[in-house]
Amino acid sequence: MKRVVTLFILLSLWAAAPAEAKLKVVTTTEDLTALAREVGGDRIEVSSIAKGYQDPHFVEAKPSYLLRLRGADLLIAVGLELEVGWLPALVQQSRNPRLLGKGSGYLDASTGCDILERRAGPVSRAEGDVHPFGNPHYWLDPDNGGVMAANIAGRLSELSPADAPYFRSRLEAFQKRLAEAARSWEDRMRPHRGVKVVTYHNSWPNFARRFGLEVVGFVEPRPGVPPSPSHTLKLIQAMKAQGVRVILVEPYFDPQTPNAVSREAGAKVVVLCPSVGGAEGVKDYFRLFEHNIALLEAVFRETGGAQ
Amino acid sequence: METWEFLAAPFAAGLILTGIHAYLGLHVVERGVIFVDLALAQIAALGTVVGFLAGTELHGGGAYWWSLGFTFVGAGLFSLTRMRRSRIPHEAIIGIVYAVSAAASIAAMSRAPEGAEHLKDMLVGNILVVSWGEVGRTALLYGVVGLFHWVFRKQFLMISVDAERARREGLSVRLWDFLFYVSFGVVVTSSVAIAGVLLVFSYLIVPSVCGMLFAERVGPRLILGWSMGAGVSAAGVLLSYALDLPTGAAIVCTFGGALLIAAGVKIVLSGKS
Repeated sequence: MKRVVTLFILLSLWAAAPAEAKLKVVTTTEDLTALAREVGGDRIEVSSIAKGYQDPHFVEAKPSYLLRLRGADLLIAVGLELEVGWLPALVQQSRNPRLLGKGSGYLDASTGCDILERRAGPVSRAEGDVHPFGNPHYWLDPDNGGVMAANIAGRLSELSPADAPYFRSRLEAFQKRLAEAARSWEDRMRPHRGVKVVTYHNSWPNFARRFGLEVVGFVEPRPGVPPSPSHTLKLIQAMKAQGVRVILVEPYFDPQTPNAVSREAGAKVVVLCPSVGGAEGVKDYFRLFEHNIALLEAVFRETGGAQ
Repeated sequence: METWEFLAAPFAAGLILTGIHAYLGLHVVERGVIFVDLALAQIAALGTVVGFLAGTELHGGGAYWWSLGFTFVGAGLFSLTRMRRSRIPHEAIIGIVYAVSAAASIAAMSRAPEGAEHLKDMLVGNILVVSWGEVGRTALLYGVVGLFHWVFRKQFLMISVDAERARREGLSVRLWDFLFYVSFGVVVTSSVAIAGVLLVFSYLIVPSVCGMLFAERVGPRLILGWSMGAGVSAAGVLLSYALDLPTGAAIVCTFGGALLIAAGVKIVLSGKS
């Protein structure tokens, strides 16, 4: 009887297994999931650890993360120390030899991207939560999105050489669509070039440079440090002096200070979406930009745009 | 099964925490200084912050000595402020120390990079990603502290339960108080780094309260506390896996549920007798 049951289980497993096993990919953020899906198509199974509405600097470990990392063929990270607070311990604990020691199963998506605010010298402790390798919010420039997708396609092809042509053709199609979309986004933002804004965290340098916004200040006195009264007062004065009418906030920060600042300075608070999955309907990399640009167009129309 | 592989280390850490905290908890509840662990943990965190601003690494060996040094200062403070006849309850002083050291850490950390991030790190801990090396080192340390308490169990119990009698018998209550708070501080500093303040607090208080519900003497109370702590550690870790919740929070909630059940059993039992 036991033998029959074993045989039955083996048969059903064999029947359930796909002809070719899919590559199991785990990403740290949903932006990377979206990009991996674009190039990996149906040849990969991909899921993200952090949700788009969570601050990727902080992630609370759950058992399922360890299980997913354990079984992963590939882990894709944003890098530049964005995940330094939580990912190393999880990878260590997953005991997955493919991921440990940055082996073949670990991909830092930032390679070759245009990284801003890279530090040459040592970072002083007085400067706040500064990432010495550069600003880790680089995925908010579509050009970098194209490079990241190419990085992912390259590594997927190494891991599954038989599918390399498939990944290549998907990558090319994605990059073509992205270039077209980026042109239309730039066209829409062109009337607003040079508009001054304040942001909560320093998450938007790549986005601002690409679409011509000028970030003149931050609600945080230093990155990762909560707002203090003297900094907030200085910020309000600076906003009034320079005519800043818009404050951009990430969804995971407390809106109290930005709301107070905007009341004082006569500005509008806009909750932008810094990651795929961070707002209703932002399901892929294209909709991430669509969503944010639509919000910005609306608020610039309301506040009078570039004046 | 690979699942067990992941859950084994947190469970083992839970057992070690139960071992020492269920015992120390009896003292703490007996003395009525429930929040002393929070205060000592906060002082230890303040020590790490001060050391960090003085130039040591946050997670290196230097940081540990800073936090330990501050813990000793805190232990001295708590043993000196325990008055024989005072209108000010000891718990009030502990509360003040907690609030001031917490605020001082926040203020100091605002001058440091990754302020909030590291402060959270120090007090939250993460029992899910505890390594076997940490489990081993902690077991060794707690073994030494436990042995110390077992050798001097007469003195330690007397100053906690009946300080007046200890004085009559010529014990230096201040000295033994200081030794108690020092050993307690050493344990709490290490526990908080592994499991975080909330979880350590639960391991300290809930098993001993549960023991008090059903037993009068120290031995039975300890056995009850240890059984409850071990059972809750297992159930909490499994619950965290089954419902995919953060492990520390799952264990704390399990402690709450288990104490409710224990209280229910107690009511039924006393209704019958």
